[in-house]
Amino acid sequence: MKLRLWPYFFRQALMNINKNRVVHFIGLGTMVVSLLIFGTFLLVFVNINTWIEGWGHSLTMSVYLQDGIKEKNREKIASHIRSLPGAEIKRFISKEQALKDLKNVLGSEAGLLKSLSENPLPASFEVIFKYVTDLRSDPQIIKKGFESIDGVEEVQYSEEWLKRFEGLMNMIKLVGFIIGGLLFIGILFIVINTIKLTIYSRKEEVEILKLVGATDWFVKTPFLLEGVIQGVLSGILTILTLFSIYLFLCTKKMHFLGLGVLEFIFIPYDYTLSILLISIALGLGGSFIAVRRFFEV
Amino acid sequence: MIKLFHLYKNFGSSVALSDINLKIREGEFVFVTGPSGAGKTTLLRLIFGTERPTSGHILIDSINLNRIRRPKLDLLRRRIGFIFQDFKLLPTKTVFENVSLALEVTGVRSTFVRKKTHQTLRLVGLAEKEKVYPLSLSGGEQQRVAIARAIVKDPLILLADEPTGNLDPELTEDIMILFRSIHVKGTTVIVATHSQNLLEDTAQRTILLKRGRIAGEK
Repeated sequence: MKLRLWPYFFRQALMNINKNRVVHFIGLGTMVVSLLIFGTFLLVFVNINTWIEGWGHSLTMSVYLQDGIKEKNREKIASHIRSLPGAEIKRFISKEQALKDLKNVLGSEAGLLKSLSENPLPASFEVIFKYVTDLRSDPQIIKKGFESIDGVEEVQYSEEWLKRFEGLMNMIKLVGFIIGGLLFIGILFIVINTIKLTIYSRKEEVEILKLVGATDWFVKTPFLLEGVIQGVLSGILTILTLFSIYLFLCTKKMHFLGLGVLEFIFIPYDYTLSILLISIALGLGGSFIAVRRFFEV
Repeated sequence: MIKLFHLYKNFGSSVALSDINLKIREGEFVFVTGPSGAGKTTLLRLIFGTERPTSGHILIDSINLNRIRRPKLDLLRRRIGFIFQDFKLLPTKTVFENVSLALEVTGVRSTFVRKKTHQTLRLVGLAEKEKVYPLSLSGGEQQRVAIARAIVKDPLILLADEPTGNLDPELTEDIMILFRSIHVKGTTVIVATHSQNLLEDTAQRTILLKRGRIAGEK
């Protein structure tokens, strides 16, 4: 297709949009709302994922020590902890401190502990890992590392808890895919009908264009561009609205499961770009389907 | 050269054209006449490719319209100018835009489109009305816009369907002078008309259609 025809196509597409601005406005609004539902889902997903990863990264591990551990071995364990990347000893809990903590937890029921002939609770190190590169493998490796040191009774960490969240995230992903798929089909129908309406509003002109020798592509291209323009505008408006939602959320101090104030992040660059590309693809796809059955003169 | 071989066209059970055999040489000026419903418009539409024959063949410069593919038909139409009985002008476009449309679709440079459109509108006497919308023009002026759109691309064939249908004798004469000037430049002109006044004293070839058949030729 000749390059010099493109300004004409763009002019025609913009004229069509202007001529049918009410239809386009409604179509655009519906597209933005639909994409926004998908985008919000994405925003929520990305943030929950980041929080969970964040919690995973600051993994807490309890290293229980054998009773009667020698000072030398305890020091060895402490230096092993310090040698681990990102690891920090939050606190050392002695046998006495552990019992005291338990008494505090039990409160009025603490009297039950009096019947014990000796303190059964082990001393422990509470370790925090500021960053862990791999959620699944690293805690296991770290745990095995501890267990190979003399004087370590047991190592516990929140593995099950993380796995449960992983399942939840997979569920969110699946629901996102289903909702996204349904929304995209809806958007496609909106574009098809918007473009169909503009074709019908220009039916007379199209007929005359065909009569004076316009090729099918010459007639179709402005309508395809119309779909693309609608897709671009919807994509940009959706991203801007999502960004406004994100900015609004940033001003709110929100708590989740009592785990401190949440920090929000915006959808990563590649996801943002994919919203725009999906929107353009739906605009182009919808207009393509609409013009496919172009009437022949 | 236009050749029609055993051409039939039916619309449902009604027969519009029956066994038409015709040869029109390059650069010829032909009138197709006959009463209303004789099949004049159908004949022109078949030559233009907007109707497909029920049977028979149409050859235009050795191109068989029965076998032509859509993109080639579009290109062929750029070489044929058609003046419609109802003008088919776009009310939302100016006179200039209506005429330039026929050139824009060919993808020629916009400077050429502008120059040629101005030139053609001058030829049909509408240079002063370029920016006017068709609905504010008289019937005769609208007719001339339709003619300008058909001839702006210098067609090899000009098909005119009742081009003087609603015009007074003076305007009719003006338009016939215009057709003759186009014909002199080498364009094949086929004019469908039922106006006897137009055919009086004409030396041009005249084909008479009656009930879809060729009933005579002069």
